[in-house]
Amino acid sequence: MNSNYEKILKSARDLRWDIGVDFHEKTMEALYTDATRIADRAVTYPKEKPRFDLDRTIDKLVTSRVWGFPLMILMLTFIFWLTITGANYPSGLLFSLLIDKVHPLLKAGAASIGMPWWLDGVLIDGAYLATAWVVSVMLPPMAIFFPLFTLLEDFGYLPRVAFNLDHIFRKAGAHGKQALSMTMGFGCNAAGVISTRIIDSPRERLIAIITNNFSLCNGRWPTQILIATIFIGTMVPAYLGGLISAISVVAIALLGVLLTFVVSWALSRTILKGEVSTFTLELPPYRPPRILQTLYTSMIDRTLVVLWRAIIFALPAGVVLWISANLMISGVSLAEHLVNILNPFGLLLGLNGVILVAYIVAIPANEIVIPTIMMLTVLVTGGNGIGEGSGVMFELESGLATLNILTQGGWTLLTGVNLMLFSLIHNPCSTTIYTIYKETGSAKWTTIASLLPVVMGFVITFFTAQIWRLIAGW
Amino acid sequence: MIDPLFALLVGIGVMLIAGLVFWPQSGLFWKYQKRRELTEKVLIEDTLKYIFKCERNQKTATLESLAGALSTSQANASEILALTQARGLVDLSENSFSLTDTGKRTATQIVRAHRLWERYLADTTGFDEGDWHQQAERLEHKLSEEEINRLSASLGHPTHDPHGDPIPTQRGEWVSHGGLPLSDLALGTPSRIVHIEDEPEVIYAQIIAEDLHLNMVVEVDETSANRIRFWTDDQEHVLAPIVAANISVVPLPEENQDHQIEGVSLDSLQPGQTGVVTGISSLSRGVERRRLFDLGITPGTPIDVEMVNPGGDPTAYRIRGSVIALRSNQARLIKVNPKN
Repeated sequence: MNSNYEKILKSARDLRWDIGVDFHEKTMEALYTDATRIADRAVTYPKEKPRFDLDRTIDKLVTSRVWGFPLMILMLTFIFWLTITGANYPSGLLFSLLIDKVHPLLKAGAASIGMPWWLDGVLIDGAYLATAWVVSVMLPPMAIFFPLFTLLEDFGYLPRVAFNLDHIFRKAGAHGKQALSMTMGFGCNAAGVISTRIIDSPRERLIAIITNNFSLCNGRWPTQILIATIFIGTMVPAYLGGLISAISVVAIALLGVLLTFVVSWALSRTILKGEVSTFTLELPPYRPPRILQTLYTSMIDRTLVVLWRAIIFALPAGVVLWISANLMISGVSLAEHLVNILNPFGLLLGLNGVILVAYIVAIPANEIVIPTIMMLTVLVTGGNGIGEGSGVMFELESGLATLNILTQGGWTLLTGVNLMLFSLIHNPCSTTIYTIYKETGSAKWTTIASLLPVVMGFVITFFTAQIWRLIAGW
Repeated sequence: MIDPLFALLVGIGVMLIAGLVFWPQSGLFWKYQKRRELTEKVLIEDTLKYIFKCERNQKTATLESLAGALSTSQANASEILALTQARGLVDLSENSFSLTDTGKRTATQIVRAHRLWERYLADTTGFDEGDWHQQAERLEHKLSEEEINRLSASLGHPTHDPHGDPIPTQRGEWVSHGGLPLSDLALGTPSRIVHIEDEPEVIYAQIIAEDLHLNMVVEVDETSANRIRFWTDDQEHVLAPIVAANISVVPLPEENQDHQIEGVSLDSLQPGQTGVVTGISSLSRGVERRRLFDLGITPGTPIDVEMVNPGGDPTAYRIRGSVIALRSNQARLIKVNPKN
């Protein structure tokens, strides 16, 4: 009995060496071939194809050498233009409603019921104001950009963009579909990170997630535009001001695209080398977009989810900001202490302490960077009755008045330029960091995605500042 | 404020030092880490492995060659050797040394771990073939025997590593591939590559550069003292005999000589042409190969070339009713029979 078992086991062990190296592959291939055979017997395909194939005609056009790229650029420019101009009006409306009308009303209400000043400050000047600010700046562009983007996706055009651009992305070790998540990132980095789900190759997906932060998001455009207008636009004659500041903002956005490629290239050759890479890109048939369904899903999936997360993070940020500006330690507020501590390091980077503190407070939402900077600058310089009081964020209607306050705070052209650079290259906002963690499920990649850009930002602003000062003779 | 020139120089200095310390692979930090991993255990295991290899190749291991293999001094090598002797792993006599039975068993387990790791790296990660060996050299020391068995089970108990070397079983059994060096192959004999030696690295790099892989069918048509010319499919290769000797082949059996996949590469078709799939080259491995099958690219499937990217790569193919874009380095591995 026992010797029989032994014999069988022995011959099994011997046979194991004879089945061949690629035994598993062969088995898999046989399984697939069988499945194919069964499917071919059971499934019938329509015989004759129509003579005029609309899909193929559109494909020929949008991927042609001559028309492919111009069409693509035209389409994306149109979407951005529609988003920016379209969002202006509702944004202004929301702003005047939530901040100019409701905020004083709340303050008056609080005063009438005799709420203690600190509770009123924390709740209304801190939590409410920060949240309202983020909502009014963030909601309208997202509500326009995301549905438009989803419509193009639904129609089937976006996969062709990925197809056209794959040639370039391949050279950076990335996937053509990264073009889509990158574009989505111009709307919102958190949404951009979510949209990398379409990339099914693990390595390329991580690249897309880590580099998405280099897409200048909607929350950072206003900062760029304001700083470019008041610092760079005023350097040239007035009639050129608008053009020059627009060009410098676009240059920053393009620098972001360039960094995306450079960082993708470096990542795919170093820390991401071991991740599996499999490229495939499906080009689905075109179909008429389902407008209502698209509106609904993009509102629910993208706009509201992202907005909800932003609110959750902006609310405590407002509270922290207000407390730090009003909590006095030996006669000086906590915020001022922080500004003073960070000031030498900030100046070394061609920035200043106020900017660094603003970026720490504004980790939850980039939208509140400028109002926070304004508030802190007035707080530190002593302000002459400008602004709304310590801990209350504000912006000024007039660019010139803003410039005046900032120059009083010691700002130069270099500070402006470096703020633009740092606004592009710094850690992602906490909404995005949280999303990255959710999407990758890995603390390691989340840490890298958060720290890599901010370290790069320090290095780039540092060198810009030193070279600038050398040339300008400080 | 700090003088900008001074700050600039300090900044450049810091960047240079950071580069020197953290530069991928050759940075000091990584070297230090590697040194720290070089514990007594690792050195003993490497010694056993080296003697084991020498015994299998009927070479005599000397103290000098051992020191070379461990890249250390002879004094250190003899110290390690004494350690192994004290543990009953190596028999030392006069001028030669050999493994005891326990030593053989331990060495076999290390070889098993090394080859399993290479299999793992090849099948489930994106590392290039040039990186497998170095990684496995590090990883082989890290697992207990129990963990090695679990690794083997999770890979489906593979029989060979990606270079064609047999993986010893848990009991330490293995059979050799039984191939002969490509440099000794008779002219005009279609043969299958069964093993590619991955050491020394310089020679292995040349083999990778020629895109030669396991299970390819080769046929030699010219040999001389300084070059060997042979063909795989339609590809011509020329190698020095010393390089070719690191590739082992087994002649195909008579009745099975047209075993190789017929047809041309999918990426050689022009838009509008159709090809019927004859097979996927074995160069496409693991997850990537599975993905191609998932897309329905099985023998007998017709594929139409739909359109080409404005830059020339990737190309979109119509496969079973859907349009899929593949890059040329993937399409190259799919063999088709062109149809008119």
